[in-house]
Amino acid sequence: MPLLDQSLVDSVIKRALRSGADFVELFVERKHNQSISVEESKVQRVSSGHDLGAGLRIIHRGTVSYVYTEDLSEGGLLKTADLAAQVGRRGGGRFAFGEMLGAPHAPQRIEVPPETVGAEAKIELLLEADQAARAVSGAIKQVAVGYGQSAQEVLVATSEGVRYSDARTRVRLMIHAVAERNGEIQTAMEAPGMQRGFEFFDDTSAAEYARAAAERATALLDAAPSPAGPMAVIVGNEFGGVLFHEACGHGLEADFVGKGSTVFAGKIGQAVASPIVTAVDDGTLASRWGTLAVDDEGVPTRRNVLIQDGVLVSYMYDRLRAGQQNHPVTGNGRRQSYQHLPIPRMTNTFIAAGAHSVEDIIAATPHGLYAKKLGAGQVDVTSGDFVFAVTEGYLVESGRIGRPVRGATIVGNGPRALHKIDMVGNDLKLAPGTCGKEGQGVPVSVGQPTIRISELTVGGTGVGPGGAMRQ
Amino acid sequence: MNPIADRVLNRCQQLGAEDAELYVSRGTEFTVRIYKGEIESLISAESRGVGLRTFREHRVGFSYTSDTEPDALDGLVDEALLNGRYNHADEANVLPATEPAAFVSGLASPALSQTDPQRKIDFALEMEWRATTLDPRVRRVSDAVYSDGSGQVEIYNSRGLRAMYERTVAYGVLETIAERDSEMQSGFAFTHGRDMQELDLAGVVREAVENAAGLLGARPVPTARVPVVLHPHAAAMLLGVLASSFSAEAVIKGRSLLAGKIGEPVAAGIVTITDDALLPEGLASRPFDGEGVPSRRNDLIVNGVLQGYLHNTYTAVRTNGRSTGSAVRSYKNVPEVGVSNLVLKPGELSREALLARVDNGLHVSQLTGLNTVNPVSGEFSLGLTGHWIENGRLTKPVKELTVAGNVIALLQNVAAVANDLRFMFAGGFCGSPTVLIQELQVGGL
Repeated sequence: MPLLDQSLVDSVIKRALRSGADFVELFVERKHNQSISVEESKVQRVSSGHDLGAGLRIIHRGTVSYVYTEDLSEGGLLKTADLAAQVGRRGGGRFAFGEMLGAPHAPQRIEVPPETVGAEAKIELLLEADQAARAVSGAIKQVAVGYGQSAQEVLVATSEGVRYSDARTRVRLMIHAVAERNGEIQTAMEAPGMQRGFEFFDDTSAAEYARAAAERATALLDAAPSPAGPMAVIVGNEFGGVLFHEACGHGLEADFVGKGSTVFAGKIGQAVASPIVTAVDDGTLASRWGTLAVDDEGVPTRRNVLIQDGVLVSYMYDRLRAGQQNHPVTGNGRRQSYQHLPIPRMTNTFIAAGAHSVEDIIAATPHGLYAKKLGAGQVDVTSGDFVFAVTEGYLVESGRIGRPVRGATIVGNGPRALHKIDMVGNDLKLAPGTCGKEGQGVPVSVGQPTIRISELTVGGTGVGPGGAMRQ
Repeated sequence: MNPIADRVLNRCQQLGAEDAELYVSRGTEFTVRIYKGEIESLISAESRGVGLRTFREHRVGFSYTSDTEPDALDGLVDEALLNGRYNHADEANVLPATEPAAFVSGLASPALSQTDPQRKIDFALEMEWRATTLDPRVRRVSDAVYSDGSGQVEIYNSRGLRAMYERTVAYGVLETIAERDSEMQSGFAFTHGRDMQELDLAGVVREAVENAAGLLGARPVPTARVPVVLHPHAAAMLLGVLASSFSAEAVIKGRSLLAGKIGEPVAAGIVTITDDALLPEGLASRPFDGEGVPSRRNDLIVNGVLQGYLHNTYTAVRTNGRSTGSAVRSYKNVPEVGVSNLVLKPGELSREALLARVDNGLHVSQLTGLNTVNPVSGEFSLGLTGHWIENGRLTKPVKELTVAGNVIALLQNVAAVANDLRFMFAGGFCGSPTVLIQELQVGGL
């Protein structure tokens, strides 16, 4: 079933253009979500929902107006078009908009649409994971597992005649294990997901991820408080890429660049990282969490090299910023839903693989922290300062992995840390995540091989480098 | 009665639901973003959605939709009932007893919809212009936003509940850039109220400019254990992290730091924390919660001693307690347990007098990485910006530091609270004065 009748699309755009707008875009979205959670080894919640709505963007000489509605009837949409035209007559600036480039890719291929699979099979998967986690150790006191799926269809239609659509189906598993011993509590989580149908679980074992989470939570009970102070930090692969995403990726988004509020503004062609660093944003990768056939402005996605051998090559653009900054579009215009304006966002962003094995990197480190898994983090795009939690960390002494540490965070400055990357591993992997910006969450991948940063500040409750570190 | 609720509740009954509850949400949004004296973007919209809970043999079903066409509403009922079939039966799954909630005045400002949109745009323009003319080190603004909205909630259930309220909120957000040589620092500030007239234009400009300019030249300092003073906003954000531990749901599921500690001292004697959904100045105030249970004031910690937890109907029935009117939700979610206006009670000291107690320590103006705090173990290690304190005065700016500890240990080490209560949205609407912590581990050079 098409999202919206073709002739209605045309008449809404025509109606909004009557105000003398330079550009009109209609974004229509239909989304179905299902989530299932198991806690205390019981099915706690099966819930589902539907979102259906449209957003109308009008540009009058550089000023963007946006109106959204859940009323997709002809009367409702035409009323919305009138409202958009009315709020839109305030512009005074120059209008330029990035040209469409390339042809849309095919939507991701889904073999078993998850909405065709009954809840029973999903519950079975979750109960299996729950049991696997609980079997790991007597210390596992709580396990929460969840399953989520979403199927989003979008249509982008513009006054230039663009009519593109995309369908995005995602499935994800969430496992949260809590270990407890003598009043001490530690937690760990795993959350694998792909843009695939239920066939994802043909080659992904929920039980294996559950065991991994439970083992990590249990191991953390023996971890000592992390020491604090400056030291070499080896950042693990996969979700470790969140460090690049937060500390550098956001600074390469063209809205921040256009306002000069990022340290990377005006640095194209300059060395912004160590020469062993190449970083890429690629919205075309098969089945990845941030992959799109077309972005939420209808622009076909591309592989965009951001940093090549340490030199800044490109920023990430939506159509508005591409036009303002006179740059080709890159397919990075994204929005959380029809209730949001598109802004420059990352898709699948990662540091490319290098030459070293993880073993080499650890063996070459006389003293430092191996941050094997990172958790949440935050960055100030203007100063580039960041902070990240280390959810699985070990001390490294004399080229060997030592005892586990807990409660560590790493803080630093993104641009300076990029220059301090002195080893890049060969074990590139990507992980799914939800990226938040201006109150909008969008699905992305982060990724990297194992990397070493010669020095970062480590925060923790343990004694500083002068004390416990040498024991 | 609302025709949507009528249709949905009737169908629930026809299809065998013993009980049902429909949550109807409607809202408006107006947001204007300014850049260099021009409107960068303007959003004006109305939205709506409904969420349905069904109860059959103590199994709860839930579904939501933003599509309120008749077919979609019928589908909503069918989906909720189907979902409910898979959930485990639990006798605590019941609707609350219907209790009328008193009207709470002042939640919605009629001025909001009467204010000419041009005046709202002018507010944002004025914010940006003033921010670039106050201090020679601050000549640029990266974000200047005025936003407001109204939200209307209606709840209908099969026990005869018909309840409705409306509230409004307006806020201004400003982010400035201070520059010196090649260094850039950003400064963030916000102001909020129930309509534009309640916003503090001069205050938000002054703070955003001071926050950015004050950080120029910030450096890390050596690792140390020192007294730490938390700015009200930093303290309010930590309070937001603690919020989930007051939830009886978290207690039942073994995810609360405060489990099993009712009647015990969990904080220093000067710490009193309340959650008050009827607080006149609270932007999270409301006459009833997400299940229609009347709001009330809940004392959580009094003079350091834990008094109790927050409950929705489910956790109350399960623990033989009483709902504290703490069900929080949107139409897309079932009611969970959460805070409304969570307040750390201010003391008598002025902020200056509190600072005067510190000879050598750290003042934290902003904490980063609060999403990294482990809510179960309570361990935290956060990034921060702020100033060093020497003899009671803020001196050199500092950054790239971490402050680490445990939330419970932190509560027990509160040495003083000032009288300068301020609020911010941090999960709930959290309020705190300036707080002095006896000692914390600060990680730096």
